[in-house]
Parts: sequence; C-alpha cells; structure tokens
Amino acid sequence: MKGHHIIPPKTLLKVFAALVALTALTALTAQVDIGAFNIPLALAIAGTKALLVVLFFMALKYDKPVNALFFGLGILFVVVFLAFTLFDTAFRGDLGNVGKEAILNTEGTGQGE
Amino acid sequence: MTQDMDRSEAAQARDAEEHPAHGDYITHAKSIGSWMFSLDHKRIGILYAVTAAIAFLAAGVFALLVRAELLLPGETFLSAQSYNQLFSLHGIVMVFGFIIPAIPGFLGNFLLPLHLGAKDVAFPRLNLFSYYLYLLGVILIVVAMVVGSVDTGWTFYTPYSARTGPAVLFLAMAVFVAGFASIFTGINFIVTVHKMRAPGMTWNRLPLFVWSIYSTSIVQVLATPVLGITVLLLFLERLLRIGIFDPALGGDPILFQHFFWFYSHPAVYIMILPGFGIVSELIATFSRQRIYGYTAIALSSVAIAMLGFLVWGHHMFVSGQSAISSIIFSLITYLIGIPSGIKVFNWIATMYKGSISFKTPMLYALSFLVLFTIGGVTGIMVGVLAVDIHLHDTYYVVGHFHYVMMGGTVIALLGGLHYWWPKVTGRLYNEVCGQIAAFLIFVGLNLTFFTQLVLGSRGMPRRYHDYLPEFTSLHQLSTIGSWVMGLGLFLVLGYLLVSLFRGKKATANPWGGATLEWTHTGVRPDPHNFHRTPFVTRGPYEFDRIGASRSETVEDHRGADPPDVALNQDRT
Amino acid sequence: MANTSAAEQAAQERSPAHLKHYFVSSDQQFDAAKLGMWLFLITEVLLFSGMFVAYAVYRVWYPEVFAVASTELNPWMGGLNTVVLLASSLTVALAIRAAQTDKRRALVVNLFITVLLAGVFMVVKYFEYTHKFHLGIFPGGNFAYAEMNQPIVPIFFSIYYVMTGIHGVHVLVGMGVLSWLGVRAIRGDFHSGYYTPVELSGLYWHLVDIIWIFLFPLLYLI
Repeated sequence: MKGHHIIPPKTLLKVFAALVALTALTALTAQVDIGAFNIPLALAIAGTKALLVVLFFMALKYDKPVNALFFGLGILFVVVFLAFTLFDTAFRGDLGNVGKEAILNTEGTGQGE
Repeated sequence: MTQDMDRSEAAQARDAEEHPAHGDYITHAKSIGSWMFSLDHKRIGILYAVTAAIAFLAAGVFALLVRAELLLPGETFLSAQSYNQLFSLHGIVMVFGFIIPAIPGFLGNFLLPLHLGAKDVAFPRLNLFSYYLYLLGVILIVVAMVVGSVDTGWTFYTPYSARTGPAVLFLAMAVFVAGFASIFTGINFIVTVHKMRAPGMTWNRLPLFVWSIYSTSIVQVLATPVLGITVLLLFLERLLRIGIFDPALGGDPILFQHFFWFYSHPAVYIMILPGFGIVSELIATFSRQRIYGYTAIALSSVAIAMLGFLVWGHHMFVSGQSAISSIIFSLITYLIGIPSGIKVFNWIATMYKGSISFKTPMLYALSFLVLFTIGGVTGIMVGVLAVDIHLHDTYYVVGHFHYVMMGGTVIALLGGLHYWWPKVTGRLYNEVCGQIAAFLIFVGLNLTFFTQLVLGSRGMPRRYHDYLPEFTSLHQLSTIGSWVMGLGLFLVLGYLLVSLFRGKKATANPWGGATLEWTHTGVRPDPHNFHRTPFVTRGPYEFDRIGASRSETVEDHRGADPPDVALNQDRT
Repeated sequence: MANTSAAEQAAQERSPAHLKHYFVSSDQQFDAAKLGMWLFLITEVLLFSGMFVAYAVYRVWYPEVFAVASTELNPWMGGLNTVVLLASSLTVALAIRAAQTDKRRALVVNLFITVLLAGVFMVVKYFEYTHKFHLGIFPGGNFAYAEMNQPIVPIFFSIYYVMTGIHGVHVLVGMGVLSWLGVRAIRGDFHSGYYTPVELSGLYWHLVDIIWIFLFPLLYLI
C-alpha cells in the first residue's frame, strides 16, 4: 500500500539497544537512595522508554497525526484520573475532623464520629 | 425551494425505478437469521431498539411499583427489602440496559452512516458483536434477578457491595460485559466519523447529531474502561478479598467512589449528549432555519465531553474526600453549565423568526428545552458545596437527575423516535395521538419530579421505603404524576405498534429535512443505503438548497459515483 | 509514494479479496483499522490506569510499607522479563517490516520468536508466583506470610497480583493472537498489499510491553 513508512532494521536495533541500556540505568539508579527524587527519576526513565517504543516500534512518529492525537488524549485522561484522585487522597482530612486515621480506625476506637 | 424538493423526490423516484429488484433494507431478506446475524447497521440499530425498549418497559414498571409503594406512608405492598431491590433494579436496568445504549445503539447505528453518506459503519462485524455483548449484559442482569436480587442501588458502593448477596457478582459481570459493548460501539463510531465520510462531507458539514454521537463515543472510549477495572476490582474484592476498597483490610472505600464516578459521571454525558444531537436536528428541521451557531453547538458537545471528566467528585462532597478536591470539583461543575447554556441559547436563536411547525417531534424538542433547563439549573444548585450538604441524598437529587435523564434524554429519544419513525419503518403514526401523548408525558413528568424537588428541599431522604406523615400529599402527587406519565408512554407504545401494521405509507422526506437520509435515500433506505455515493456540496441545514447537490438531481451524473479523486481523498 | 511496488498496484487494480465492499480503497480500510486499534489501545491504557491510580494512592499513603514489601520481589527476575519483553517488541517490529517488504519467511520466523519470548516471560512469571504462594504471600485477606505481618503489606501484594495478573492475561492473549497470525503467515495470507492484522497485533503487543516498562520500576525497584 502506498504511503506506509518502512522503518530500517538498523533504527529498530538502535532503539532496542537504547531500551536495554535504559533498563540497566533504572535498575542501577534504584540502588542509590536519592530521597524524594527516586520516583520521578524512575518514572522519567520509564516514560522515555515508553516514548521510544511508541515513536519507533509503534511508528507513531511516521503515522497519521489523528492516531497520535487520540493516544495523547488517552494519556491526558490517565493524568486527569491520577491527579484528581490524588487531590483527594493526598489531602484527605484537610478539614481536620474527617482525617484518614479517623476513617481507618472507626472500629473500636470511637474516633469515627 | 419546493421546486428543488420536488426535483429531489423525482430523483429518488427515478432511482427507485432504476433499481426495482433488490428491495429496501427490510424487504430484501426476511428470515430470522437475516436479522439476528445482519451486519447492516440499520438492522443492528433495530435490534438495539427492540432490546432497549424491552429494558425500558421493565425498568419503567419497576419505577411504577416503587412509586405505588410510596403512595402511603408505612409498608403497603412491598417489604423494605423488596423495595430496595426494586429501586436498585430500576436504576441498573435503566442505566446500563436502556439509557446508555439506547440512543447510540438505535439512532446512532441507524443514522450515523446515513448522515455521513457511507455504506456502513467502519467495522460492521464488531458492531454486531457489540450488540450481542449488550444483549448478554441484559441477560446477566436477568440472571442476577433470578439468583437473588441486588439491593446496593446502581452505584455498587463498597464495602456494602462486597458483603451483600452473591447476585452482585452477576450484576458486576453484566456491567462489565455491557461496558465492553459500549466501548466497541464508541470505537466503531469514532472511526466511522473519521474515515467513512462521503466526498465533500467536511467536518463543518456534519449534521449536529453526528457531532454529538462523536463526542459521546469519545467519552465511551475514555471512560468505560475505568468502569471495567472498577467492577473487576469489586469482583476480586469479593472473590479474593484483595482489600483495596475494604476498610476492614486497610483499604479505602472512598477510592471506590472515585473509580466509580470517574466513569459514571462522564456516563451522564454519554446519556445526554446524543439527546442534544437529536434536539438540534428537530429544532432545525421544524423551524426550517439554518441552525444558529453551528460551530458553537458542535464544539460545545466536545467541550462537555471533555469537561465532563473533571467533575466526578461532586458526587462525593459529603463522602469525606478532602476539602480542596471538593472545591476544585465544585468550581469545574459550575463551568460545565457554560457549554450547556450555549446550546440552549443557540436552539432558541434558531427558532427566532423561523416558520415553526408544532408536529409531535417538535413538541418533544420544546419540552426538552424546558425540562433540560430545569434539570441543568437544579444541577448547578447541588454543585454548590454548602447547598449540597443539605440536599445530598434527598429527593432533590432524584428530581434533578430525572429531569436530566427523563426530561432530557428520554424526551429527546421520543422526539427522535417520532422524527425518524417514517425513515425506519416507512410508515406514519397518528399525529393527534402523538400530540396527546407528548402532552401527557410532559405534564406527568413535571408532576412526578417537580414534587420530588420540593420533597427533597424539605428533607425527604432518597431510597427510603417509608416517610413521615407530613410528606404524604407530595408523595401522592408524585405517584399520580408517574401514572400520567406511564399512561402517555403506553399510549406511545400503542399507536406506534398500530402504525407499524396499519400506518399510512410515508414518503421519502415527510418533514422536509435536509440531511442525507431524507434527501438521498428512498422511503426506507436500501441495504447499502445509497444508490450511489453522495457527493456533498452543502451543509446539513441548508433547507433552501435541498436538491442543489449533484447527486440529488436527475439531470446530473446519473448512475455514476463521484470521481475517484474525490472518493480516494485522504480522510482525517 | 516511493515504496509502491508493481505487484501491489496490480493488486489494487483488480479490487483485492481483502477489500470490504463498504470501503473505497485498501488505504481507507487500513487507516480505519489502524485508528480503531489506536482507540482500542487507549481503552487498554485507561483500564490499566485504574490500577496505577490505586498504586499511587497507597504508595503516597504508605511509602515505607511499599519499600519493605517490594523487597520480596526479585528484581533480577523482573529485569530479565523486561529485557525479554523488549526483545519480543523488537521481533514484532521486524515481523511487520518483513510483511511490508514481502519476506514471508522472515515474517513467520519473527512472529514465532515473539511467541517464544512471550512464553519465556510467562514461565518466569510462573516461578515468581509459585514461590510467593509457597511462602503464603496471597492477596489481601488471605495473606499468610508471618515475616511480614504489618498492616497494608497485603494490599501491596493485592496490587502486585492484580497488576501483573491482568498484564499476564494480556500476554497470554497476545501469544494466542500472534501464533494464529504465524499460521496465517505460513499460509501466505499477508503481503505488502495487505498486512493489517500483523500491524494491529504488533501495536497491541507493544502496548503490553509499555505497561510492563512501567510495572517493573514501580513494583520491583522501590
């Protein structure tokens, strides 16, 4: 069919090598404790790997823009789901009278009113 | 204009003479198998219509029983347990069996390819598969009723749903399966809109019904998978006691509410958006006006679809979620009034100086404007944090969402059903009966649900089997209203059935509509919709240019498809 | 375009067998199928997002518990599986290329190597699971591992089992689909003019890989 981009195997192999290298990198950095930056770093590496897979293996880079648009929309709503849920759970009990402990300890302690 | 219309009908008559052999989509094959395994989007649409109508009838009867029990305070003929099961079934069957699949499944399937000038949807086999998934979902709901009914309400809140009877498992499975039907329908429709449009059918020539179905489909695709994982986790919660939602095991039941409403609030827009599309078509056709603010109406559908994802927490103001998220959700809830308001104002502006004909479908469209506005405004009120503390879980909320679901979606569906009835069946219904029924439904609906708004604001909690004596007269008014509404709906059922067998034969374009299904197909469409691929040269509401398009006229281009260049163009 | 081959043009002219009547051209049919697949992939992403949200919520609440509980997971096993899945993604990409360039043998070989790698992944998973069952590490309320009796640890393992379990189901489905494609490829169903099922299954397989790319650091490397 016309217009289908055929990716040279050399590119695919390079991407694969980069993915393996990034896997090693994330395993190594996980051994080092850098406090609050552990999760963002791990996610950044995983995100880079995912991006490589999407752009080259899945060929989104050469594909019709509408496919990328919808994939982006999907990712956006994952972020929405995550962020808005964390707005609740990370700040649960910010009024002081309905704290997480109060909810968890309703049995036996009598705090849960 | 009439001359143009005549020409168009002459063209259709000529087409019919040219192709006498194969019959229309109903007469060309008659066996049961040709219906049950049909890949034709129109036949699948009718399968959906029949199944959804049965679900609506069943759930409607449940509602009538619930209302009848509330005629008098105290227990009359239902125990509290059966009352709980009945309103749960009413909610579950209405939501998952009727209101979510009804408009996209019936009118969406029937009309989308016709509106686009396509021969079928992009994936006809997937379309049939969706229908059977939906049917399986409905059957599982029936199984759950037999196994022992569910008393959780349609929301399945944990931890109660993880502990009550085992029928919840079947209902969770039913919802899971029906959810996949919804997802596949959504995928199918989005691809159809993107890739199957006829030559010349640009994005700004799409009928507004297509825009609304398209927005609905985006919501279905993005939201329904989360319902899938939610009921799957509920399932595992019961089977393996995974404890994510169970406070006894350290889990968080409010997390379940987030998961549930991440789907179920957008699902509200899955229910109402197609209604918007129908109303746009009705108001344009029966005012004989180009729709006012086409772009605004089209894009406000998309805006509602997107904003609809950001407000789910307004169901949880009193659940114990953090105050900061309540404030954010409340704020965005106000915002969603904007695109809805844009639509209502544009519809009213479309009618301004139009030549309005008050046919039954238009009566439903006008009812919609009133009822949906009440539903919308009461929605903003319960979106106010402080007010919601008072109104949460009262009949006010019940009244509000019935104004939106019943006064919005069901009324729009009834309008659409009457409008497209001649195209679907090739018959006309009795106009006088239609108008009487529309009037009965409008009156009954207001009587039923406005009293509930009053009841709620006076503190009557929802889902209660019993009530204090001072609420008696309002409850009785509401129950009488439900009877009036039921009478109207049974009247509709009656005269539509009569019309099916005895109705007057319709013409190809009885209302003078300007979208392709009226101007380019016969009385009932062909199995493959169009004799030749339409070549679209005008917008969907240019009533003064009906017949102006090449393939609408006899003289031009007889028997030939549009040129290959036009057919093969890249569709985005 | 430059890649148009003579055989393919000829195929288009005689209205190829795979072309459904309601499509105008092979290209329209291919584009429609591909958009449909991308939409299906975002539903998969959102399906998994529910579990990622649950993970995030509990990790924010109980970071120490997660750190302790994840020491029960063997990062070498997880790392091995990561590389195995990445390699299988590569072979699927090579299979698609082989289909595009009419190399039937390479197509068949690459498809079956992919299935084989997926099998390796599942075997490793099997050993991980049975080891945990042996210790009494069951999800949630059935947790019976005496050395980790603090609260919330069972929830970590619930999330672990649900995430990797549903991912594993996707791997199994992928194995089935890819084997079937392998058989069809031997039969000669695919060529440069028609390889839509290979392309779509490839997209699905890459997504399964991407999910694992996130699961590995989030579960094994805390």
